[in-house]
Amino acid sequence: MKARRTLRWAALIALTVLYVAPILWMVLTAFKTEEESAASPPTFLPSQWSSEALDTIFASSAQTPVLRWFLNSVIAALGTGAVVLVTAAPAAYALARMEFRGKRLVFGGIVATLFVPPIIFLAPNYEIVEALGWLDSLPAVIFPVAAGAFGVFFLRQFFIGLPLELEEAALLDGASRFQVFTRIVLPLSKPALATLFLLTVLTNWNDFLWPLYVLFNPEHLTLSPGLGLLQGANQTNYALLMAGGLVASLPVLALFAVAQRYIIEGVSRSGLKG
Amino acid sequence: MGTGALEQLKVRPPAAKRIAVRGVERGMRSWTPWLFLAPYLVLFTLFVAIPVLYGLWMSLHNWDQFLDEKPWAGLSNYTELFRPGSAKAGPFWSAMRATGIFTVLSVPLLVILPLGVAMLLNERFRGRSFFRAMYFAPYVLGVVVVSMVFRFLLDPNIGALNHLLGSTTPWTTALPWAWISLVGMTVWWTMGFNAVIYLAGLQDIDSQLYEAAKVDGANVWQRFCNVTLPALRPVIVFVVTVTILASANVFGQSYLMTQGAPEKKTRTAIMFIAEEGFQDFNLGSAAAMSYVLALFLMALSAGVFFFFRRGEDRR
Amino acid sequence: MSRQQFLFACAALLAGCGGASRRPTASFGTGTGYDGPPVTLDFWNGFTGGDGPQMLALVEAFEKQHRNVRVRMVTSRWEDFYTKLPAAVASGQGPDLALMHVDQIPTNAEHGTILALDDLVRDLGLREQDFAAPVWRAGAYQGRRYGVPLDMHPIGLYANTQVLEKAGLDPKRLPETRDEYEAALEELKGKGIQGHWVTPFFFTGGHQFMSLLWQFGGELTDPAATRATWNSDAGVEALEWLRSLIKRGYSPRNVGQDADSIAFKNGQNAFIWNGAWAIGDYGSTEGLKWTLAPLPRIGSEKAAWSNSHNFTVMRQSSPDENRLRAAKVLIDTITKSPAWAEAGQIPARRSARESPAFRKLEAQSRLAEQVPDLRFAAAAPGLSDVREATLDIAIAQAVNGSQTVRHALDDSARRANELLRLNREKYAT
Repeated sequence: MKARRTLRWAALIALTVLYVAPILWMVLTAFKTEEESAASPPTFLPSQWSSEALDTIFASSAQTPVLRWFLNSVIAALGTGAVVLVTAAPAAYALARMEFRGKRLVFGGIVATLFVPPIIFLAPNYEIVEALGWLDSLPAVIFPVAAGAFGVFFLRQFFIGLPLELEEAALLDGASRFQVFTRIVLPLSKPALATLFLLTVLTNWNDFLWPLYVLFNPEHLTLSPGLGLLQGANQTNYALLMAGGLVASLPVLALFAVAQRYIIEGVSRSGLKG
Repeated sequence: MGTGALEQLKVRPPAAKRIAVRGVERGMRSWTPWLFLAPYLVLFTLFVAIPVLYGLWMSLHNWDQFLDEKPWAGLSNYTELFRPGSAKAGPFWSAMRATGIFTVLSVPLLVILPLGVAMLLNERFRGRSFFRAMYFAPYVLGVVVVSMVFRFLLDPNIGALNHLLGSTTPWTTALPWAWISLVGMTVWWTMGFNAVIYLAGLQDIDSQLYEAAKVDGANVWQRFCNVTLPALRPVIVFVVTVTILASANVFGQSYLMTQGAPEKKTRTAIMFIAEEGFQDFNLGSAAAMSYVLALFLMALSAGVFFFFRRGEDRR
Repeated sequence: MSRQQFLFACAALLAGCGGASRRPTASFGTGTGYDGPPVTLDFWNGFTGGDGPQMLALVEAFEKQHRNVRVRMVTSRWEDFYTKLPAAVASGQGPDLALMHVDQIPTNAEHGTILALDDLVRDLGLREQDFAAPVWRAGAYQGRRYGVPLDMHPIGLYANTQVLEKAGLDPKRLPETRDEYEAALEELKGKGIQGHWVTPFFFTGGHQFMSLLWQFGGELTDPAATRATWNSDAGVEALEWLRSLIKRGYSPRNVGQDADSIAFKNGQNAFIWNGAWAIGDYGSTEGLKWTLAPLPRIGSEKAAWSNSHNFTVMRQSSPDENRLRAAKVLIDTITKSPAWAEAGQIPARRSARESPAFRKLEAQSRLAEQVPDLRFAAAAPGLSDVREATLDIAIAQAVNGSQTVRHALDDSARRANELLRLNREKYAT
């Protein structure tokens, strides 16, 4: 038993080193001068802690408004999460609890698109977003992403599993369907709604391809395409890259440290209960 | 990954129970369901249903998004992809091959390693949730930050890894090293995600099953094979399908870290389609390529589905 | 059925974005000053490196001279610039004016992204003799002018003086011929230094190949840019020579993107054929002692690859004459100023290039000695994308040794010819 515990701790520590080292390297490099960051052989600690790279990023004349990108990313991610909840929940409720003509067709159509690989949407959605006049604005990275069928499917499964009795009793008392939905079903579904919200936010936060091609003005970028700006072709300043990475990660990691339990629980639920 | 589309592979939706009170549908008129559906259906129609058909329409044209003339092209955007030696076929299939190589290399690692990590974490000890959070953390950093850090660590000339190993391995500029780097980075980035899903699955396994196996004299390995794996089956199916799809859609890693080097051999299908559409202004041809890639992916998902279903029937 | 009609039939809620006429132009008012109401200009460029602050300083100086013009400068990476700019203009989010590489002008003219500037240059009285002739000519397309050249940025021979001295070479007299260059590399090799790192990337391998191609008497394409001709004997000789630097041990294999430049700053190699943009970078690198000269002549004639930033004016859905006039004044003011040269560039305008302020810039002046020998790629819509999809890969294959030089060039030329044909059909040129 003792040997097994030792083994486990050895593995845990080895993994931890593997996970901390790259991040640590990023942090240390962010505080080096450009010359030192590109030195060969590399130095471990900065020979002189320098804020050169961070200054470049935060300079008022800088063309790399990292904080602006961060804010845009937050708005886009929370916005997408909110739009998904607001649109998918009532739709899922109708599909779970109401009978009407055409229901099978609607549900079948929505579920079928779950199998369509997202690359299909790249070219046509670009043209549609352009026709709507949304290019280079946050709606372009909110609404098309929120239109995915996953939310409806996920919530419908959850609603079906809820006990019927409460809803029936409320209806007998003369409540409308909308009241049943908002006062009984939604409160009972908080965990599912939270899971869906977190998953949507996380997916949107990591999205790179779509924002890369529909946002142009540096002021309008989200974090992923924005950070790409730091990486020029004819001049690679690693200290600057790492400083950008650091500034972008700090708030996320802080947020993650606070909310990690909920995020991880949300992710784990995605695999267990469909 | 995450909101992957294939949950229903394992979930058999229970039949919808409708609220029927004394045989009448109460509290609703004929248009009530449509009122509930309307907001989503607007989004769905505009950004999901129409694009599927609109993309098909675009793929039948020489579609430059910035020219007014978008002449009809028939099936030529497709046939060019299958005409040996054509200017489009060569790079397209080489990009498809790159995506295939990446998928084949990364999926096994991303299915097996996270299971090991999950089992490591599936016991009560102090600091467990700390480690769990640490291994998950790279996922929230996003592909851009992770690619930048790894591009730096793996820089053949001034990178820390070569310094540490005392080697001059061309990690990002030559094969097979570039594949090893791309796969390794992806494992580092997303392993925690899969591990967390496995961990939840492990915690759902009834501990009495293990006790019973112990009583029967099963050793650790036998318990793993005969209790853990079967109980984890639906979770494994989920992880496999989601990981395959995520890997087949690989874009950011090679776009940012290797930039397709060497000689565009690590340029993936998605990367090539995006270049064709937005850099060379051939959205029609890019749409055609998307449909070909999509057919491959759908065939792959169907293959995985039937593979696991057949296994289930035999049981 | 047009795409607007199709969308309308499907969704019945899309207002079409309206096709623009294909060769738009506009009135820039008269005169060379701006005295109209206050305006704000959006000005885009791709100066994400050390040249960004320099351009910003020029813009701020312009604002001080012209109190009623504000300029919002926006920088984006050049790599994404040409995918984003036409999209921004088409969606009405475009800037008033932008800097653009001269080889991108035909594509953007065809897409109706930029305006013809014949009236603007006439108002300003700008003529060919006011500029270096090749760069002026490169800014026209199909008989109309679209770009006002700001600068030229050729590649040149940078040398790390400390490394040369260590190897017993004279940094005051850099190699000028093939024999001298190879002798210097051999000397360095004897001291354990790989003198010239060859990268398989466009930066800097692609620039080097094109310069060598021209030096050996070759051309990238025929004059009308309908056929690729880089697989000529001159092309093979040029690429074989680059490859031989690796074979003879003057360069390591598998050099990464920018690794040659970082190695230069670290004193790991001695020479780099790099662009004018590196002047600012190397100049601000602490402890680096370097010098600059025209490229050595490896082939039969002198030649160096160059590109040029050109001012272009964007199409607007509702043109505002005041902003157009202000843009005209800004273009005139900034192209006249020698201050931009401090970022490493050679001014395209003769008056700036011959000014005392420019002559004082030692490195830039050395580069400017190459002006008569500079070559700009031929102009055709989509040509640079074709090059990227074909020639750039061939160079990488040959440099990495995964294909023979002849095969890589022939295969890339064949594919390029097909792509050029598709482009001719598409753009109906």
